[in-house]
Amino acid sequence: MKIEKMSFEESIKKLEEIVKELEDENISLEESMEKFEMGIKLSSNCLKKLNEAEGKIEELTRSEDGKLVTRELDLEKEN
Amino acid sequence: MKDSSTLKSKIYTVSELNLEIRKSFEEGYPDIWVEGEVSNFYFHDKKHMYFDLKDESSKIKVVMFHGSNKNLLFNIEEGLHILINGYISVYEKRGEYQIVAVDARPVGKGSLILAFEQLKEKLEKKGYFDLIYKKNIPILPRRIGVATSIGGAVIRDIILVLKHRFENFHLIVRDVNVQGATSSDEICEAIDDLCQYGVDVIILARGGGSLEDLWAFNTEKLAERIFNCPVPLISAIGHETDYTISDFVADKRAATPSVAGQLVILNKTEAMENLKRINKRISSLIISKIAMLKKEINFLIKKRMFIKPETLLNKFNQAASEFSSKLIENMKKLIRTRRGKISGYRQLMDKKNIFKKIYIYKMVTRNIDTRMISNMKNYLNLSKSKLKLMLESLREKNPVAVMDRGFAIIYKAEEDKSIRSINEVNVNQKIRIMLRDGILNAKIFDKMYRKLKLGIKNEN
Repeated sequence: MKIEKMSFEESIKKLEEIVKELEDENISLEESMEKFEMGIKLSSNCLKKLNEAEGKIEELTRSEDGKLVTRELDLEKEN
Repeated sequence: MKDSSTLKSKIYTVSELNLEIRKSFEEGYPDIWVEGEVSNFYFHDKKHMYFDLKDESSKIKVVMFHGSNKNLLFNIEEGLHILINGYISVYEKRGEYQIVAVDARPVGKGSLILAFEQLKEKLEKKGYFDLIYKKNIPILPRRIGVATSIGGAVIRDIILVLKHRFENFHLIVRDVNVQGATSSDEICEAIDDLCQYGVDVIILARGGGSLEDLWAFNTEKLAERIFNCPVPLISAIGHETDYTISDFVADKRAATPSVAGQLVILNKTEAMENLKRINKRISSLIISKIAMLKKEINFLIKKRMFIKPETLLNKFNQAASEFSSKLIENMKKLIRTRRGKISGYRQLMDKKNIFKKIYIYKMVTRNIDTRMISNMKNYLNLSKSKLKLMLESLREKNPVAVMDRGFAIIYKAEEDKSIRSINEVNVNQKIRIMLRDGILNAKIFDKMYRKLKLGIKNEN
């Protein structure tokens, strides 16, 4: 599976597997370089996912024609 | 026998009598409360209820019409101990008197509690609470949906928790009444809306309250909606001690709305630290791997032949030239002896004994040939086994085996001496890189001083 398409959960799981594989002393230099590179890619994917969410609070309502719409919700103002 | 016409009393028709009895019963018992156990319960077309109410020694018929029983929260069922409010009437068609119930309530516990228990049991039997149907709550949802009242403290509590855990959380709030007659239907609608809009997880939330206050979360309709909801759902209703049907059906129950905030998304700081820890670990593993290989190489380098691979060739050249010079020497020696002997034979030759001499000469020559050949053979054998030994030791220390593990030997382009320090070459100088399967001709375009153990730097 392509790393960019992996979910956070999947990436973290794969990362932990890579740590285990690298801990094996019999792994060749080439293989360990590959694993290392993949590990770096996975962890940057995780980091990307952590920063992906938009960071906002919205209210879901229906517009006049019945369509679902969102608008910024300011709870300080609501009260 | 007297004629009926002579009777002073009024003669009724059956209908008249039953009608009069009905009237007197209805007037005499217009509002009564009676308590007993339900038996022979019959729910006709799920509309009108017919049953007997009995005690140890007596029973009475009861009818509860749809208009009255549709408001009951709990189900009247066989064996249930209930208190009924209503009036006595007569079903004239059969001349049977019965209680027409307008209200009923369970004895010993509240209607709501009973209704809750009955629904819980029913749904449990249907498998609504089974773990196999529980969906996993994602640890990193991009959009979090919440169905709650935006007027209350609950949404603020959730937001507060989320702010601490994950600064860039994305919350979609669907405002909904969480109390009142229509609230249950509204909550179902809110769940549908959130699913339709697209969220990764839904929190159903409400603050604490009485069983009656929380009733919207104890209906069968909502239970079904939650059970069939394609999005993972967390039920966060009331306080820790409050349990609702939605808590049981939901994929996860949060003891309070604040707890829901903790369950719905991972702690970002912790996640970042965990990532850092993993990064450090894989970097240190690769560094130690390289250090280990470096050590191995250093060991091999200490063996002289690896400093100058050409010394190996020299050894072979030496052996080869030794071999050939010895060969030549031997040949010369043989030729000398042969020549000496031939001149000796010449002197021995005379005309008299010419045939005898020729014979002797032949014999001697043959002897010499045989000796020479066996000498040569011996020498060749000796050289062969020497070569074999050398090849074996070469195989052991073979630089190619090391190259198989990712190492290369670098030479200056114009020299056969391998380089071991970046000081030995200059920028733009040509080099040759020897790999196991060939040679790369390259040019230095940059030089950086760096110790090997810092070769892979851990970025934090």
